[in-house]
Amino acid sequence: MASFHRPKTTQEAIALLAMPGARLLAGGASLVAMMNAGLLTPEAIVSLKDIEALRGISVFADGSVRIGAMTRHRETAENRELHGCFDCLRMAAGGIANPVVRNMGTMGGSVSLADPGADYPAALVALGAMVELEGPTGRRRIPARKFFVDWYATAAQPQEMLTSVVLPSVGPGVGYYRKLTRVTGDFAIVSVALCLTDAGGVSIAIGGCGPGPIFSDEANALIAQRPGDTGSILKAGEILAKLADPVDDVRASADYRRLVIPRLLASAFSIVHENWKSAA
Amino acid sequence: MTMQCVLLINGSTYRAEIAAEDTLLTLVRDVAGLKGSKLGCNQGVCGACTVLVGGWPVRACLTLAADCTDADIVTVEGLERDTIGVRLQRAFGECGAVQCGFCIPGMLMSARALLDKNPAPSLDQIRIGLSGNLCRCSGYRKIVDAVRLAATENAA
Repeated sequence: MASFHRPKTTQEAIALLAMPGARLLAGGASLVAMMNAGLLTPEAIVSLKDIEALRGISVFADGSVRIGAMTRHRETAENRELHGCFDCLRMAAGGIANPVVRNMGTMGGSVSLADPGADYPAALVALGAMVELEGPTGRRRIPARKFFVDWYATAAQPQEMLTSVVLPSVGPGVGYYRKLTRVTGDFAIVSVALCLTDAGGVSIAIGGCGPGPIFSDEANALIAQRPGDTGSILKAGEILAKLADPVDDVRASADYRRLVIPRLLASAFSIVHENWKSAA
Repeated sequence: MTMQCVLLINGSTYRAEIAAEDTLLTLVRDVAGLKGSKLGCNQGVCGACTVLVGGWPVRACLTLAADCTDADIVTVEGLERDTIGVRLQRAFGECGAVQCGFCIPGMLMSARALLDKNPAPSLDQIRIGLSGNLCRCSGYRKIVDAVRLAATENAA
């Protein structure tokens, strides 16, 4: 039987994380589900519920945004200050599961689990987000691109916890997130996250098709050179499909996923096309 | 390791000796004896265990009881204590929304949460509001009708 803890500060939580078999509890949507399924038996459960510093979304004067680890998907999905390119993350949050689960699940919980079919990883990579980690020796920030290292594995050390994600200011532009699913709210068969700035910057990430989000500077550059050109978009999609490392699972085969990547990308671009100044 | 905990459910105080792993659903059903909330998938998918914690809907099967000691918890049994709750219960009856009935407590709680945040939801908003609740009799249409009826009465 596990012990239960409700620390008031991040530092206390990190100290408690040193206990053998300790697990952090955020919204419970993944951790408790795994406990119920007998996949995890934590020896100590450290609830982050009472840590004020982990909550909420802050928008700074320079246009950057900090989203605390305990921010619920509902809050991210409903935050009107997340617009322009940040729509990408807002849309990703709004497409997770269903209203009740969005009211439970958190940014930190979802990102830390690093489920390749989940929605935040691709959106965060497309936006060039930084993941903030805190451990016994202090705080550090690493790019989302380097955070998702393998299937359900992240760059966080055993005694580190995710405290927030930070979206750097990218200036005006459009953001978009779309996933292909069997039913609404399911994990993605393939997802595409776009961050397109009015200054001509292109950043694409593909989710659901490998251990972490797929991205390619070459693919981004191809579209940036000829914004709005369908051929370039499909070529970029082919590059991303080659980089993908999908698996066959209950939702779709790996071959199908590779086939879908360029098409979903083209479909996403056709929708944002009108709003993207560089292409218009 | 067990711990003493006090939970406020439907306005009544319950004291129990719980384990850290005990879910709110276990407490509600087995300690408080409130059997309205159902144990369906135990994975947060089916919605039959939906309850309100601090006014917001959650899955009781994915919520640890030890995390709720300072919250106001409302289960389906608590709906009779508020006007909108009673309206929903009556509307479900009037519309014949209940088939086997297993999903209905969760449907009612999701509907209650929806009408709390949005007293006059559109048809699409009702469908989205109930999208986390599965009915294996597939009787969705009459369930949606019932929520619409309750919402109409809300507006009247």
